[in-house]
Amino acid sequence: MKYSLMSERREGPGDPMPKSPSPLEDGGGPRRPETGSPDKDSLLKRMRRVDPKQAERYRQRTGQ
Amino acid sequence: MLHRIFGLETEYGLLIHEDRPDHSPTWFAHQIRNHLFQVQRRGVLDLHHRGHDEPPGNGGFITNGGRIYLDMGHLEYASPECHSLTDVVASDRAGDLLLQRAIEDLGLSEHVSLIKNNIDHETDATFGSHENYLVSRRFPFSRRGLAPFVTFLVTRQIFTGAGRIGAASPQDAWIQVDRLIVPRATVGVRGGSNLPFQISQRSDYIVNDFFEWVQHNRAIVNTRDEPLADPNEFRRIHLLLGDSNMAEYATALKLGVTGLVLQLIEEGHAPQDLEIDEPVEALQEISQDQQRNWVVRLQSQRTISALDIQEQFLDCALRHCRGQDEETDWVLAQWASVLNDLRGDYQKLVGRVDWASKLWLLECFREAERVDWSDPLLKSLDLEYHNLNPAKGLYYGLVEEGRVPRMTTDALIQIATEEAPKNTRAYGRSALVRYLLEGGGATDADRVANPDGLFPAYVINWSIFQVRGHAPFPMLDPFRTYRDEVRTHLEPSIV
Repeated sequence: MKYSLMSERREGPGDPMPKSPSPLEDGGGPRRPETGSPDKDSLLKRMRRVDPKQAERYRQRTGQ
Repeated sequence: MLHRIFGLETEYGLLIHEDRPDHSPTWFAHQIRNHLFQVQRRGVLDLHHRGHDEPPGNGGFITNGGRIYLDMGHLEYASPECHSLTDVVASDRAGDLLLQRAIEDLGLSEHVSLIKNNIDHETDATFGSHENYLVSRRFPFSRRGLAPFVTFLVTRQIFTGAGRIGAASPQDAWIQVDRLIVPRATVGVRGGSNLPFQISQRSDYIVNDFFEWVQHNRAIVNTRDEPLADPNEFRRIHLLLGDSNMAEYATALKLGVTGLVLQLIEEGHAPQDLEIDEPVEALQEISQDQQRNWVVRLQSQRTISALDIQEQFLDCALRHCRGQDEETDWVLAQWASVLNDLRGDYQKLVGRVDWASKLWLLECFREAERVDWSDPLLKSLDLEYHNLNPAKGLYYGLVEEGRVPRMTTDALIQIATEEAPKNTRAYGRSALVRYLLEGGGATDADRVANPDGLFPAYVINWSIFQVRGHAPFPMLDPFRTYRDEVRTHLEPSIV
């Protein structure tokens, strides 16, 4: 695997392109979260912190 | 990945968290750009007019060989030329990191968020993620030659789409049918808030099959002939129909699969007889199909699913490309895996396919909070998926939970903020930018006139540069690094 950013550098793994990304090892993707499981709770906590009006504030110009 | 140069251009949105009329997204964009170039000294600002909307100082090249600039009020980052998927993923993420860190350094994190998406739900504004693929000048760039490519592009969104709540409003949404461009409402395509969720952000805004403009009348294949390289040797395939991907895996797969399909076309191995009857209409219908059957009608009047079409392209690629290099084999294996998983529960794709990740998060929230699809809060969650602040963004919540396969590392992304790939001409350009940042070639008069910059006059473009006192230096071959030649070229002025 060519990774030109890697040459002359010390950091990073030898081959950053995983042969098989971890979610595929058990058939792909995460398991459906159990209700009340810590991981789902953590994600829900992030979502509950979102300003419900922020989409109205976005107001972007059209680009390309 | 064979003889291919990849590049990505990303226009970012800026979400302002306060109600101050003097603080527009463009105002913040200027602060961030100025901080990157004038305080952090990441690169050198253009001294010349690049275009009527790119005056001197609007942006410039940075030490990793890419560009940061303002385009129509948006912060935009163009990656350096990359010769591998791992490089282009790291370089793409480097742009995210540079801009996010600038916001943090400026102490603006609580005031503004950097959003890597392509739509504004409220105004129907759209802004792009543009892909660049270098091909041979012999590439069959004609309607007939590109026909398989159009079919591929219309159907690839089933694994490249970033997903969104709703659709572009009918009054702004036009569609090409029978060579005419008509309002989408007249052909029965759903629009606005009536649509719960669709898999692509940009599909609503693509209204033509082939066209050269990039702001209006956007096309499946942009036909602008601007190779940014030797026009006798190369053509740059410039795509603007894709979504900005948060998942590194999706970015790598999108570019890798598209690169292989271009190879199939170049070598005459692309599947034939798969021309879609109304490709623009099909693009939007696939994106908006709530059952995710993704069936299209071919010009032969046969119907076929987008999945089956992608399988046919995959089969051709397996026959003709397998074993040519390690990266190709990775792409083929992951393409097959994703298509297989798309035939089952979409939740298998969470972490790898952005629309699946977003849909799963929204479904979790809807279930927990008993929220209807019409609740405007979901638009705000949609935006938050793309927030590049790791402490806030929903994509980063999935990363934190270990649900997202990484294609690079944080250390490599950090390196890619400063260093160019060492196997493309970005390497030589990086040497030039560093030379100018160090004040190379500046005269005493320059130092008096410009005490902060110490720059001699220069013009830098993707395929040529000139520094005052030197002849123009063309860099027409993106596969060459020009590193030694650039150093030699600049040597006389540093003696």
